[in-house]
Amino acid sequence: MTDLALPAPTERQAPRGLRPVQRAGLALLLGLVALVAVGPLLLPHAAGETVCPGFAKPSLAHPLGCNDVGQDLLAGILTGGRISLAVGLITAAVATAIATVLAIAAAWHGGLWDVIAMRVVDAVMALPFLPLVIVLSAFFGASFTVQIAVLCLVLWTQPVRELRAQAQALRAADYTDAARAMGASSWHVCTRHILPELAPLVVPQFVRIAHAAILTESALSFLGLGDPIAKSWGTILFHANARTAFLTDAWLWWVLPPGLLIAASVVALALVGHGVGDRHADGTTAATPRTGPARARATGDRLEVAGLSVAYGGVPALADVSLGVAAGSTVGLIGESGSGKSTLAMAALRLMPPAAEIRAGGVWLRETDIAGLPEGALRAFRGRRIALVPQAAMAALNPVHTIGAQIAEAARVHGLADPHGRARALMAEVDLPAARLSAYPHELSGGQRQRVAIAMALAAEPEVLIADEPTTGLDVLVQKAILDLLARLSAARGLTVLFVTHDLPMIARRAGRLAVLQNGQLVETGTPKALAQGARHAHTRALFASVLALDAPKRWVREDAGAPVLEAQDLVVTYRAGLAGRLRGAVPVEALAGVTLEVRAGEVVGLVGGSGSGKTTLARAALGLVAPSEGSVVVSGAAPRPGGAAAMVFQDPYQSIRPAMSVGAAVTEPLVVARRPDAEIAEAVGAALVRMRLPSDAGFRARRVGSLSGGQRQRLAIARALVARPRLLLADEPTSMLDQSLRMDLLATLEDVRAADGPGILFITHDLALARHFCDRIAVLEAGRIVEAGPADQIAVAPAHPYTRALLAAASS
Amino acid sequence: MVWLRTAAAYIAVVAIALTINFALPRLAPGDPLSFLLPEDVLAEMTEAEERRVLAEFGLDRPIPVQFADYAAGVFTGDLGVSLRYGAPVMDVVMDRLPWTLLLMGWALALSSLLGTALGVMAARRRGEVRDVGTTVLVLALGSAPVFWVAMLLITLFSARLGWLPSFGAVPLMARPGSWEYVAGIAERLVLPVTALTIAQTAGVWLTARSAMAVALARDYVTVARAKGVPERAVFWRHALRNAMLPIYTNVTIGLGSLLGGALVVETVFSWPGIGQLVVAGVEARDYNLLQGVFLVATLSVVAANLLADLTYPLIDPRVRR
Repeated sequence: MTDLALPAPTERQAPRGLRPVQRAGLALLLGLVALVAVGPLLLPHAAGETVCPGFAKPSLAHPLGCNDVGQDLLAGILTGGRISLAVGLITAAVATAIATVLAIAAAWHGGLWDVIAMRVVDAVMALPFLPLVIVLSAFFGASFTVQIAVLCLVLWTQPVRELRAQAQALRAADYTDAARAMGASSWHVCTRHILPELAPLVVPQFVRIAHAAILTESALSFLGLGDPIAKSWGTILFHANARTAFLTDAWLWWVLPPGLLIAASVVALALVGHGVGDRHADGTTAATPRTGPARARATGDRLEVAGLSVAYGGVPALADVSLGVAAGSTVGLIGESGSGKSTLAMAALRLMPPAAEIRAGGVWLRETDIAGLPEGALRAFRGRRIALVPQAAMAALNPVHTIGAQIAEAARVHGLADPHGRARALMAEVDLPAARLSAYPHELSGGQRQRVAIAMALAAEPEVLIADEPTTGLDVLVQKAILDLLARLSAARGLTVLFVTHDLPMIARRAGRLAVLQNGQLVETGTPKALAQGARHAHTRALFASVLALDAPKRWVREDAGAPVLEAQDLVVTYRAGLAGRLRGAVPVEALAGVTLEVRAGEVVGLVGGSGSGKTTLARAALGLVAPSEGSVVVSGAAPRPGGAAAMVFQDPYQSIRPAMSVGAAVTEPLVVARRPDAEIAEAVGAALVRMRLPSDAGFRARRVGSLSGGQRQRLAIARALVARPRLLLADEPTSMLDQSLRMDLLATLEDVRAADGPGILFITHDLALARHFCDRIAVLEAGRIVEAGPADQIAVAPAHPYTRALLAAASS
Repeated sequence: MVWLRTAAAYIAVVAIALTINFALPRLAPGDPLSFLLPEDVLAEMTEAEERRVLAEFGLDRPIPVQFADYAAGVFTGDLGVSLRYGAPVMDVVMDRLPWTLLLMGWALALSSLLGTALGVMAARRRGEVRDVGTTVLVLALGSAPVFWVAMLLITLFSARLGWLPSFGAVPLMARPGSWEYVAGIAERLVLPVTALTIAQTAGVWLTARSAMAVALARDYVTVARAKGVPERAVFWRHALRNAMLPIYTNVTIGLGSLLGGALVVETVFSWPGIGQLVVAGVEARDYNLLQGVFLVATLSVVAANLLADLTYPLIDPRVRR
């Protein structure tokens, strides 16, 4: 799994260290601090001394002249800076500290406390800031400490709001759940996981408060609410204004310098804080340029990619790829993450990030080379001749326009007659009621949105479709419906389709030909049958070998199981909203409605069901994270509790271990939480890593989890789950986020551990084929009830319940 | 339900403002009477007289009763008497409020338009050297204290060049309602509005630039391009239409800071708005007046936010009922 162009998802974060703009800001700020700290010490006069005639002009002895009462202005300004900067920085430190603690507390406790805290924050934020500060200062008198207190009182609110939103996201993160499942205390999770992740976000808040505090202090002092003895920059300007210095030459030495220094301090802070967290995806450019030679077409295929080479910021992502799609046929383009398959799809439309360039080659649609079209002609081609069916997971529909307008737009921009009539007709074709034309995207389900995206692609009657993982992120049964629809419509219209996917079993059943990409190179093409039986390239063979066919002999067959480690009896779990939720009208949700299930030691039980069927709730109940409303659940003879006899492996290894942790710290966390002796912990690390076939040397243990590949992370997650020797392992689709070729290895390792340690495994999945091969028994969960259970072979081959039959149909068509 | 929550939120803001006003003279260090009477009067009073005055102001009654009384007074428009002006605070503030609103209205309109237009343009060129230069310039403009900018504007355009007046809001020689009168007001508006606009535009610019950059990177923009939508329509209909949502929200959030800016700018130009009352109130220790200004300012901002809340569904279909 080598990534050519794009780094792994979690590594795509802000670069470490400061950017040049931030560095310049920091230098300016430190310079100013040094100036006001040291400056007054070097001057012969103190700020308060009367040393010259009033209104004296600048001279050698007094470079900035004197004010109305004969005080040296340079001394005044340098000394005043101490007050101004101190107010700003102290306020920022105090207010940020308060805000951080409050934000974590509110996010952690949630519920009513959170609601009350946030209402107060909202209300204080809605108060007009300066008038409030003025009234407070007027009553409490003008002094340095009062100013800081008053500013803190008003400025703590906005950071609470922003940090709490972040803390909430961290609280909901899988790694927080993982820590709680280990039995970690609130204190442990807040200080070991949430605070370290929150810390980088606290810095911009500090900067922003300091920024606001310095400006507000100057305004307050300017209105005469400053400390009359310790004059800040604002106070100096107050006096200059009172003496109308700006109407005389004195503006140059009395008005300009203090204002410049305030502006410089504030701009320094603005630069330090600028662009923190301001990293967006790049989006696409209107037309990705071709920078190298074209390539003539070689075949008579309707769509022909000819010798295409693409680079991102100079790094090659596709190398000399040639691929044809015959008129009216479907070619499946498969490859693992980072293989370049999406790059190829988008390069065919010349819609890529700004850093991308087409280095060489052509994309031929009949007699036209799309890669060489001028922008205007390219626009006329897109949608009209070659159209895109985007990923379902993509936010592909514009949230502020009705879907009718968006479908019609695709026809209208190409000058087709009656765009709205077309939209209406297309709605019927994708099986959506015409009444939904006036709906907005947020009112539709994921599957419905994907239908709209298909209608949009077909609106201008193109002859070629590029489908880029069009069903990723959808429920299994919805996926099948979308795939059937797409197949039906493209057959009816004789469309030429390039179908990009990572789902080999699915596309092998649906495409006429397959093309396999690896590391930006096309390694093999052929019919699915030919590739399955005799692929020439090792990568293709590995891909096909890793597919578990429903009808092949069962791959894992196990001996008799031991004593029960999970016993659920008529288990009901009802989620009730808190008081705050109930005020909003939330109703109790019955996630599990009477589940009876048993897992024995050494046994693997598959739990199969669609999204929302209650699979995760059952796991949470077994971990003791939710209490049964009715019925009972027993784990290894005792009531379940976090840190007990059950451990969990989450679906997404990128989310379930905090990327900033070291490998060693991650794998031993359950033991640390359980306060085992240090010697035992040290000993356990190596054994746990070795068992999961990970390196166990000191260098690897010290590595950041974020620097590991997805496959390594999932092994690490399993090592962590097993380190405290649980009797029950809850595995939530542990292979679904991994590339196809890594899945078999992971399952094999998991099986070795099972055979050695003998824990019972509850294996959650939606993949019937996988469940049949890896599990001994299967239970099918639908809407919180087990609708069918039995030996794996029986359930997967001859299911009785309609839901299971639908799953089977989806897995085999 | 949503209505109820919105209403509750606004009531909470007003309640907090009332509580602050009510609590301050009672919590602040010193004799509550010192916040109600001029110092010289207070110094000559006997203890009996003080008790009588306390009773007169109702300060000897239980706190909840005092609060109810105070709140009732506020709702009937009674904010007490201003020591400095010798008139009901409500009248004094209401006299000045229109002038402040005039100033704010122009600055709000200009800074929103200018900031949005320039920020949206800048989003197209994000990351280029020129973009970094522009960003630093805008940050610098937004970092300058608004009253200082105002002073420099006067120095340049009034004192040096003599182009524009720098004092007050109305020409003294013209008959109210005459053409010269209106022109005179317009002339006197230019500099304070410029100062406020400079200060306010930076924030709008930054929001617009970042909102537009986010919108341009969205998948629906890529999909629109894949449909063959012309770039201009991609920019306006798809990206800008979405970017307007955060811009609109941020402009309304900025109303409070605009009001604060107006208060300080007014003092530089001797503009007869409520900012001048603040300075007079601070000088004369006229606490009633300051509290009245704070309360009226709160109500104005709440009203503006309410208006923004009610109009937001017009531009964002996701929050429509």
